[in-house]
Amino acid sequence: MPLSYKNIAPFLKAGQNKVSRWLSYIGLGVGVLLLLSSVQMYTNINHLIRDKNSRKSGTDFISITKTITNDNMGKDNRFTDGDIKELQAQPFIDGAAPLKANAFKVTANAGNMIPFSTDVFVEALDNNFIDTVPSGFKWTEGDEFVPVIFSSEFLEMYNVFAPSWDLPQMSEKTASSVQLFLQCHGRDGNRQYKAKIVAFSDRINSILVPEKFLAQQNKALEGVENVPASRVFLKTKDANNPQLLTYLAEKNYHVNKDKTKFGRVKGVLQAIVSGLAGFGVLVILLALVLFSFYLQLMIARSKDNLQLLLTLGYSPGWLSKTVAQKWIPVYTAIIVAAVVATQLLHLGFQHFVTPARDELPLLIDWIVLLIAILLLALSIAINYRLVKKSLLKL
Amino acid sequence: MQISLQQVVPDFFETGKSNGSQLWNQSLSFSTGENIHIVAPSGSGKTSLIHFLYGLRKDYSGHILYDNNDIKNFDAEKFSTWRQQNISIIFQDLRLFTQQTVLENLEIKRLLFPYHKESRITAMAKRLGIENKLTKLCSTCSYGEQQRIAIIRALQQPFDFLLLDEPFSHLDENNRQKAMELMQEEATERKAAIILTDLKKIDYFQAERMLYL
Repeated sequence: MPLSYKNIAPFLKAGQNKVSRWLSYIGLGVGVLLLLSSVQMYTNINHLIRDKNSRKSGTDFISITKTITNDNMGKDNRFTDGDIKELQAQPFIDGAAPLKANAFKVTANAGNMIPFSTDVFVEALDNNFIDTVPSGFKWTEGDEFVPVIFSSEFLEMYNVFAPSWDLPQMSEKTASSVQLFLQCHGRDGNRQYKAKIVAFSDRINSILVPEKFLAQQNKALEGVENVPASRVFLKTKDANNPQLLTYLAEKNYHVNKDKTKFGRVKGVLQAIVSGLAGFGVLVILLALVLFSFYLQLMIARSKDNLQLLLTLGYSPGWLSKTVAQKWIPVYTAIIVAAVVATQLLHLGFQHFVTPARDELPLLIDWIVLLIAILLLALSIAINYRLVKKSLLKL
Repeated sequence: MQISLQQVVPDFFETGKSNGSQLWNQSLSFSTGENIHIVAPSGSGKTSLIHFLYGLRKDYSGHILYDNNDIKNFDAEKFSTWRQQNISIIFQDLRLFTQQTVLENLEIKRLLFPYHKESRITAMAKRLGIENKLTKLCSTCSYGEQQRIAIIRALQQPFDFLLLDEPFSHLDENNRQKAMELMQEEATERKAAIILTDLKKIDYFQAERMLYL
């Protein structure tokens, strides 16, 4: 029969201090529950708020400008190459591309078909940042027309005021078939190009032309090569990431508040939940300290017997392992109970707080289970080291 | 197995106290199969010697080696291995678990590295006349009975050396002989050595070497 805790149990005077032992068990249970449910809540909040704004690709695109105030009003508030590089270097930003603007004047008209003419601005953006890029969105000198990507919102605005100006309202399809003329005027001359709307964009409020067209006209008509951008487009996994919002606020960059409003709520909620998790960790530490007092007291009370066991040939390693293992079932039960309670709280949260949603997973996050397993291993390791240290001191 | 002593002198000895000793400040070795009888009056360091040999104390100069390993370099884990399988001891102060029963005292040693079956405990207890004490608390036994419990406990493990520190001080002549017979039988069975210290020569201990401290 191999030796077990049962054999040495009569030699350990353990039963005298039940109150502190039970208090430590309860403390551990409460602490673990607080920590696990906070972590679960944290992932729930992330999940719910990210889903609000995310595209199907799981990436958010937002445009930023420098905030114009009375102090900086007359200055150049465009983005420098350094600004863009710094944005690209941030861990929470997956990409940053400037919206290059025209340095020359542009007037758009629809020829004789629709008696409408207006000054417009055109911009160019890295194709990777545009949601709808048709294959024909490129231009070389001599092409029949310049392809244009038009903001869906601009078409909507046009359709709003078109009737009062006796202009025809247009569907996206009709607008795409209209022949446009772009009159480009600059210091060094005038040019006219035929243009055609090849796509509509929900993402970008602008009139986009191919980068090559814009660069060539800027150079030919105004003699400029790199026009600094007033707007920069950011690609990020989560536009509501509080880190991103804090960074943008610190840099005094302006961003569409509607796209990021959940970020501020999320920041507050995450702070509360993090606070709770921190409190949970504190309670766990206190419970472990309390249990260590119980163990130390037990060892002190059984000092003579333990000393004699060591003298007779019992190994300190075996004794520590055996004494520490004794609490594995208790610790496992406490932590499993906390995991079950976290699962119930998670189901309750789904049922009462987000009753109309089915977007939260039914089961708790794997990270919660991982933390539970780590806590169990940590508690056992701490007990083992404590017992061994105390035994070697005897 | 061999135990060697190289110029071992207790730290607490006054200068010159070890002069004339056949053991202190000498180089000598003990091997398995030998019976060594160490005779000395009180205060000459018998118990200290046994404690040094068992590794309980390190307050000496010189070296004690188990085979070729200096035991001053052993940690608690290493000692536990030697004590489980190679060296057994009967302390002069017995060192029993007084709040446990006699059987529990014997079993806790036997289970560590079983050499005998449990039934052998009863047989040994019967032979030394304490079989009716097995279920009693150790603290209720007389010192003579406790001495016999300590003897039986030391015989529950495998060993190459059996260290005896005045093991019969509270036994009558009849019980001394019975206990000695049992220990010598057990040592012979294991081809082990016995190192016995006492105040005077014990006639019924068949020693190959007699040393005066």
